Amino acid sequence: MTTVLEARDLERRHPLDGREVSALRGVSLTVKAGEYVAIVGPSGSGKSTLLTLLGGLDLPTAGSVQILGTALEGLPDRALTRLRLERIGFVFQRFHLLPVLTARENVELPMAEMGVPPAARRARALELLEYVGLAERAGHRPTQLSGGEMQRVAIARALANRPALLLADEPTGELDVATSREILALFRRLHADGTTLVVVTHDERVTAEASRVIRMLDGRIAD
Amino acid sequence: MTWSWALRDLLRHPVRSALSLLGVAVAAALLLDMVMLSGGIERSFGQLLRSRGYQLRVSPLGTLPFDTEATMGGVTALSAALRRDAAVMEVAPILGTTLQGEHGGVALALVAYGVEPAAQGIYTLERGNDLTPGDRTGVLLGEPALLRLGADVGDTIVLRGRLDPQLADASSEVALVVRGIVRFLYDARDQPSIATPLAVAQRLAGAEATDRASVLMVRVTDDATMGATAARLRAAHPEVAVNSIDDLVAQFRLRLTYFRQLSLILGSIALVVTVLLVGTLLAITVNERSGEIATLRAIGVARERIVSQVLVQGLLLTVAGGALGLLLGLGTARWLDAILTSFPGLPAAISFFVAEPKPIATAAATLLLTGLLAGVPSAWRAASAPIASALRSDAP
Repeated sequence: MTTVLEARDLERRHPLDGREVSALRGVSLTVKAGEYVAIVGPSGSGKSTLLTLLGGLDLPTAGSVQILGTALEGLPDRALTRLRLERIGFVFQRFHLLPVLTARENVELPMAEMGVPPAARRARALELLEYVGLAERAGHRPTQLSGGEMQRVAIARALANRPALLLADEPTGELDVATSREILALFRRLHADGTTLVVVTHDERVTAEASRVIRMLDGRIAD
Repeated sequence: MTWSWALRDLLRHPVRSALSLLGVAVAAALLLDMVMLSGGIERSFGQLLRSRGYQLRVSPLGTLPFDTEATMGGVTALSAALRRDAAVMEVAPILGTTLQGEHGGVALALVAYGVEPAAQGIYTLERGNDLTPGDRTGVLLGEPALLRLGADVGDTIVLRGRLDPQLADASSEVALVVRGIVRFLYDARDQPSIATPLAVAQRLAGAEATDRASVLMVRVTDDATMGATAARLRAAHPEVAVNSIDDLVAQFRLRLTYFRQLSLILGSIALVVTVLLVGTLLAITVNERSGEIATLRAIGVARERIVSQVLVQGLLLTVAGGALGLLLGLGTARWLDAILTSFPGLPAAISFFVAEPKPIATAAATLLLTGLLAGVPSAWRAASAPIASALRSDAP
C-alpha cells in the first residue's frame, strides 16, 4: 500500500521565557493510503504541534516529513504552499471559514487557487456540499450556519482538490454531542470512500472508529 | 474573486470603512485643490494676458503694467517708433487714472482708462456700442460703475478730473454719453471702471498727463516671435520696460511662490493623511483577520494572493475616496476661488484653481500609488505571519 505520510525523528522546540521548551521529542510515524489514524493524548502532549508539522504549517527543529515521497524540509514557501493546496486537506477545530464568502464560495476557494475554471469549481463545490448534506445551504454565509454545518462546509473545502491526506485538528472540539456524531459519521464515510485521515482528538468515539490510534505523552508517542 | 472578496471585506465593517473613505475623500479633495492651485493661477493669468491677442506690454521703466501710478511721456512718438518694428502689428496706449463721476445726483470715484478706440486690449463690449476713432464725447461703463451710478446706455454722465492744488477745484469737467457697457478684463471684482477716449482721459488727468500713457499694449505678428521682439524693443527703447507675456507670467510666478509652497506642503500633507488612513485601516483589518489569513495560507493560498488581496482593499478604498474627493475638491475649489478672487487688486477674471486634465491625472495617479503603497506593510505582514501560531491564537 502506498505510503502517504512518513515522519522521522520529529522534534520541535519553542523558546519560552528565555529557555527552550520541547513540544515534540523524536516522533516517527508512517501513514499508508486509506488509513484512518487518530492521534490522542492529554493537552500539551504535542499532538496539535505534530499535526502542524505533518501538514507543513510549521517546520520541525529536527527530523523530516515526507508527503507522497516529497520531503517538506527545504522546500521553498511557494512549493510548500502548492503541496498543501494539492495534496493536503485541513479541518480545524474552529472551522476557520471566511465570513464574507458563502458556503459554496468557501468550498470553491482552494479550487480557485488551483486555477480550476469557475463553472467547474462551482459544480464541484455543489457536489461536495451535497456530499456533506448541505446542498441547500450553499448560498448561506458562515454566520447563518450552525457549528456542525460550518464544520461540514470546512470538510467539503478540505476535500475540494481531492487531497491525498486529510488532517483534522479536534474536528468535534467545538460541537455538541449530536453534531459531533454527524461529523464522525461523515469521517467514517470519507474513510470508507478511501480518504486517508489523520485526526487529532480528545474524543474517544474517534479513537473507537479509527483504524489506528497513536497515543502521545510529553511530546513522544507513548505506545 | 479577489476584487469582490476585498469589497465584501471592506463592507464587513461599513461604518469604519465609510469613515476611512470619507477621510481619503477629504485628503483627495485637498490634494486636488492644491494641484489646481499650484499652477492654476499662473495658467489663468497667462490666458488672461493672451485673451485679446496683445503679446507685449510697454510700461514705465522699472515697473510692471498698472503696478504703480507712473506714466510714460511722449507716447505718440514712442508708439510710432514701436510700430516701425517689422514684427509689430498694433500698439494700444492706455492711460489709467482716477476720476470723479456723477449721474443723477450720485457721485463716486471711478477708475478711468483712456484708450485708443481703434486698438485696445482691456475690455470686451457687452452691449451698446464701442467707442469709435475720433469720438470725443463717448464713454463706456463697466457693470459695477453702471450699477452704482444708476446710468445706462444713452445717459450722460459728468466726469471731473484731478483737483488743481492752486485753485482747489477740479481742473476740468466733461459731460460724456454712455455708448456701451463693457467688461474690463483686468479689473478687480466690483471695481467701478470706465473707458474714455485717450485724449479725454489725458485732459481730465491734468496738464501733466498730456501725451502720456500708463502702458502700451503691443500686438506682434505671432507668438513665436514674442520673446525676440521684446528683446529687440527693449534694446531699442531702454527708457521703458518691455515685457512679453512670458516675462509677465514669470514675474507673477515669482510673486506667487508662496502659493506654490503652500500647495506643495498641503498636497504632501494630503498624501501623508491618505497613507495614514489607508495604512491604519489595513493594519487593523489584517490584525483582525490574522486567523483567516492563516487559514488561507494553510489551505494553500499563495502569499502573492494574500498580498494582492490586502493591496486591492487599499486600492478600492483609495479609488472610491478619490472619486468622492474629486467632486468634493471641485466644489471646494469653486468656493475658495470665489473668496480668493474677491481680494482687492486682483483681476476678477483670473482663477486660482484651474482644472486641467494632466495635473488632475497626475494627482489621481499619485493618490492611487500612495493608497497602494500604504497597504504594503500590512500586506507583507499578512503574507509572512507564521501560520501555525496564528491559527492557534485566532479564529475568524
